[in-house]
Amino acid sequence: MVDELNSRETVTLGALFLEFAKIGLCGIGSLLAWAHRVIVDERHWMSEAEFAETLSLCQFLPGPENANISIYVGSKFRGPVGATVAFLGLTAAPLAVGLVLGILYLRYPHLPVIQNILGGISAAAAGMLIATGIKMLMPHRRRPAALFFALLAFAGIIFVKLPLLAVLAGLVPLSIAGAGVMSRRAE
Amino acid sequence: MSSLPAPVALAAQLALLSLISFGGIPSVLPDIHTLVVVTKGWVTDREFADFYAIAQAMPGLPMILMMSLIGWQVGGLTGALACAVATCGPSCTVAFAAFRLGHRFRDAPWQQIVRRGLVPVTVGIVIASGYVLARAADTGWEAAAITGAAAGLMLGTRTNPLWILITAGAIGGLGLI
Repeated sequence: MVDELNSRETVTLGALFLEFAKIGLCGIGSLLAWAHRVIVDERHWMSEAEFAETLSLCQFLPGPENANISIYVGSKFRGPVGATVAFLGLTAAPLAVGLVLGILYLRYPHLPVIQNILGGISAAAAGMLIATGIKMLMPHRRRPAALFFALLAFAGIIFVKLPLLAVLAGLVPLSIAGAGVMSRRAE
Repeated sequence: MSSLPAPVALAAQLALLSLISFGGIPSVLPDIHTLVVVTKGWVTDREFADFYAIAQAMPGLPMILMMSLIGWQVGGLTGALACAVATCGPSCTVAFAAFRLGHRFRDAPWQQIVRRGLVPVTVGIVIASGYVLARAADTGWEAAAITGAAAGLMLGTRTNPLWILITAGAIGGLGLI
């Protein structure tokens, strides 16, 4: 696994702030798709595998997973200061924009053209999120057990309509046990 | 808590809920609803639903914005900022400590097995979330076609996603969906 794709020195606090601000400001509907694009595809701050692993961990931690990803990337390169800067980049500017627009929207609710624009954006954002999930699965495409558990998690949420925590609690122990057995066999 | 001013009481409660929001803030949304709508009556049911919808449609982290809008209603700008900090501050501190601890054991064999087991479940959940969003936005074949085209462009090309969103917004704004 490629652990350090960038050395500490090449990632400045300014770059952390600006790139996470970009993720926050562009990420309407789905921040995760943008986080993946910027962190993995554009800046190579994490490998595909590390991104997927970090996201898994973030799902178990309290708080919004995208905020936790910014904490991870910031602290990986620049310690506690980097974590704070990345988190502020992700949240400060979008919060200002969102508060102003949100309060305006509450004053003048339900303009049809705004609803229509939002409808188009949400449909595209959904497609972007699905594509991000498929990209994250690509490094595991040759492991039948991985594809099986991804399918089970999808089915558990969509068809059985289980809550997120129930899916995690039910499938993760089995999936980890499966990975343990496979790695023992491989030895 | 009844003696505290409303914005302080709200922020304190949010900070506590932030610590136990495993799986994200939406998992404690029912508790927040109980507090601000049912028990305290700070916002109405309709406002609560509107704040949720607005937050989903805006840039940034939806739940921080939603809590800030509630804070705005309860205590103006100070209330909004206090709620933004309370929603994420405690959980971010926990995450930071967890990453530090995890990094120390990064190369232990058991951690690699745990990661190989965790990732597929996570990926299934991500794709399921995209599917749920797509169904929520699905007002007909036109919307479904936009979802499919966006996914195809992301997978098959290096198109900047911003153009995908702008084009989709324009198509919607022209009333074509």
